[in-house]
Amino acid sequence: MGKTPDLMAQVMAEPGGEQLHTCLSCGTCTAVCPIQWWNPAYNPRRLLRLAVMGQSKALLTSPTIWFCSACDQCYHRCPRGVRLSDIMAAIRAVALRLGIEPDRDSALVNERICAGCGQCAELCPYQAIALQVRRVLGKQKKVATVSAVRCLQCGICAAACRSNAITVPSFADGELLRQVRACEVGRLEPVEARL
Amino acid sequence: MVDASRHPKVTILAPATVQKVEGYIGNFHVSVEEQPRYVIAERCNGCGACAKVCPIEVPNEFEANIAPRKAIDVPHGQAVPLVYAIDMDHCIHCYQCVEACGKLDAIDLAQKPKQHELDVGAVVVATGFDVMDPSPMAEYGYGRYPNVLTGLELERLSNSAGPTAGAVVRPSDGQAPHSLALVQCVGSRDARYHLYCSGFCCMYTIKNAVALKTNQPDLDITIFYMDIRTPSKGYEEFYQRAREMGIRFVQGRPAAISEDPVTHNLRVLAEDISIGQTIELETELVVLSTAAEARSDSGQLAERLTIPRDTNGFFTEYHPKLRPVDTPIEGVFLAGADQGPKDIPAAVAQGSAAASRAARILSTDSQLIEPTVAYAWPERCISAQGKKCGICATKCPYKAIIVEPGSAAQIVPASCHGCGACVAECPHNAITQFHFTDAQIIAQIGALMAVQPERKIMAFMCHWCSYGGADNAGSSHFQYPASSRGLRVMCSARMDSDFVFEAFRRGAGMVLVSGCHPQDCHYITGQQHAARRFERLAGTLEKMGISPQRFRVEWISAAEGQKYARVIREMDEALRAMDPAQIAAENQAARAQLDSRLRRWPDVPGVAETLREYPEPTLGPLASLAR
Repeated sequence: MGKTPDLMAQVMAEPGGEQLHTCLSCGTCTAVCPIQWWNPAYNPRRLLRLAVMGQSKALLTSPTIWFCSACDQCYHRCPRGVRLSDIMAAIRAVALRLGIEPDRDSALVNERICAGCGQCAELCPYQAIALQVRRVLGKQKKVATVSAVRCLQCGICAAACRSNAITVPSFADGELLRQVRACEVGRLEPVEARL
Repeated sequence: MVDASRHPKVTILAPATVQKVEGYIGNFHVSVEEQPRYVIAERCNGCGACAKVCPIEVPNEFEANIAPRKAIDVPHGQAVPLVYAIDMDHCIHCYQCVEACGKLDAIDLAQKPKQHELDVGAVVVATGFDVMDPSPMAEYGYGRYPNVLTGLELERLSNSAGPTAGAVVRPSDGQAPHSLALVQCVGSRDARYHLYCSGFCCMYTIKNAVALKTNQPDLDITIFYMDIRTPSKGYEEFYQRAREMGIRFVQGRPAAISEDPVTHNLRVLAEDISIGQTIELETELVVLSTAAEARSDSGQLAERLTIPRDTNGFFTEYHPKLRPVDTPIEGVFLAGADQGPKDIPAAVAQGSAAASRAARILSTDSQLIEPTVAYAWPERCISAQGKKCGICATKCPYKAIIVEPGSAAQIVPASCHGCGACVAECPHNAITQFHFTDAQIIAQIGALMAVQPERKIMAFMCHWCSYGGADNAGSSHFQYPASSRGLRVMCSARMDSDFVFEAFRRGAGMVLVSGCHPQDCHYITGQQHAARRFERLAGTLEKMGISPQRFRVEWISAAEGQKYARVIREMDEALRAMDPAQIAAENQAARAQLDSRLRRWPDVPGVAETLREYPEPTLGPLASLAR
């Protein structure tokens, strides 16, 4: 890897990547991107540029290609109507074909508790959850399975699960509750009294 | 303007609307309605006493609505003629102006619209453009945040004759700003609004920045841009000067503008793409360089003048390079930004060009036209027999055909450009084209297909493109087989389906129909008519039993000699791959249908004689022997 002259063609061949060549590199997307505010290393305009210039190593090994949450804030402002989230998905698809996967956590399913209702799969904005039949405690059973590649740890599934079978690492219920309690510190009432 | 008003041969009708345009080059008849001013122009001396006493104040359109005007006013200080007019939408009939006018007695509240009927030789359209309202672009906050202005508003503020006598101030508090951000490409180069570049905003923004920086050197000016476009003489040098003065240029399109609710300062959020970092710039005033767009009423005027408009609403010139000020309607010319956004030097140049193009017509008593115009035989036209038709008029790209129920279609030779679309489209063969009559074309097909037609490719070409392409192939020595026989007409629109039928009836092995690419057609819509016609024809021929590879439609430009040679090579290969006996058999099988399609052709003057003069070649053993 390093430079791949036809990287642009590869991205454009993926569904959603067709508009890559229409980008003017004006920077509207980067400026409005909420992820960019949280992590300035993420520059969607630059990623598109790397794809156009065939810089495959710099692009595909960048951890930031997995960041886009498809909020489409940029899409509504783009002067060329480029749907950046689709192009990001196309770039990720090219990376996956080369065996590159994101180095990050994803939502975890406790298969013993999972009732297989499928509500999480329905609600996931990234189609990261699918129901699969698995062997759990010696029994065949339908359980939710999370694709580590697609999951962006938004936590919608964890909040929605009626069996409390899903959790998001580093944003587990217990951790969040401790944080909520921390906010209560300094109040006059004793915290324990209300919990 | 003042010079124009004093010129003995110039009449200014204002405020006026063009209501109807009839006639043709050299003989236009224009109906104009002069709207009432409610002030008698001959008596008004422009003293302004009436405006002083008028109690009504409304937004002043000339001042970009940031200053008031009275209900009786002149459009602006330099208006010609300098005659006051009452805005009846706002007048409350208090008659204070009548009193103030006094002895001059210039105010006439009963004035009626005046109708003018003008006979003119040429028309120049110079109706200008509109400025886009940026309020729909919510991300920039125009209309919500007081300190977000448009370029035109800044222009009026900085004008010494403007509402603030040249002081640029913040609308929120009336204070002079210490910092200013200018945002380029607002609505231009934006697929959501206008994809085109408005062209002049870069320069007027730099001009405003330089002027403000000259007056107030400590003013902090930032220009956000996608690309700075300085293509004309001296422009790049001016841009350089602006940079040297310390004006900050940031390449990056702002994504959002937000406001501090207390100070009304603005925060411009953009990525500075040269460092790849998002910046948030706090500034006291933001000016948006809004797009130029076609006037909202350009459609109405286009309809009255029968001139075409492009997808953006601007009037279309005859040819973008070679006839940039002419319209497809002979005698109607374009000047300025109604044809497309342009800056002052370009608009002045185009105005001068349009005036001299018009003068060319006015200075002669007669107009030379191409001899290849169309002619409708009154006795053959079914409209003359009271039947409804008018197909020819709908196909004419130049509105040169007048069809009135009860009388025959009338083609105005001065407006006709000679494409021949009407000739080919007339279902009753009632129209002919001089020098390209059906008889002449039959004679050519007859001569070209006289010997061994089953081994030949009958190629119909248009004068401007595909014939040029064939010529280019020859002069560039691109080799192609000698089996093609070319027949030139002015436009692919003239290529009647009957010509193709006739070629097959005479035993042609292959037929090629070629013309310009759609965007290159020299007769605006000629190629489109042809494309539709031949799409249908391909199906008809297939149903008749003619193999699909024997009829081909190709659009070849005058520069595509390579393509012409390739098409002929491919067709020749396909022809050689076919058995001549099969071609003969197909032609024989289709014969009855071909004859039936062409049965009424001999009624057309000259056709019967030509068909007799060029009998069909005898096919048969000779053809198969040659293989």
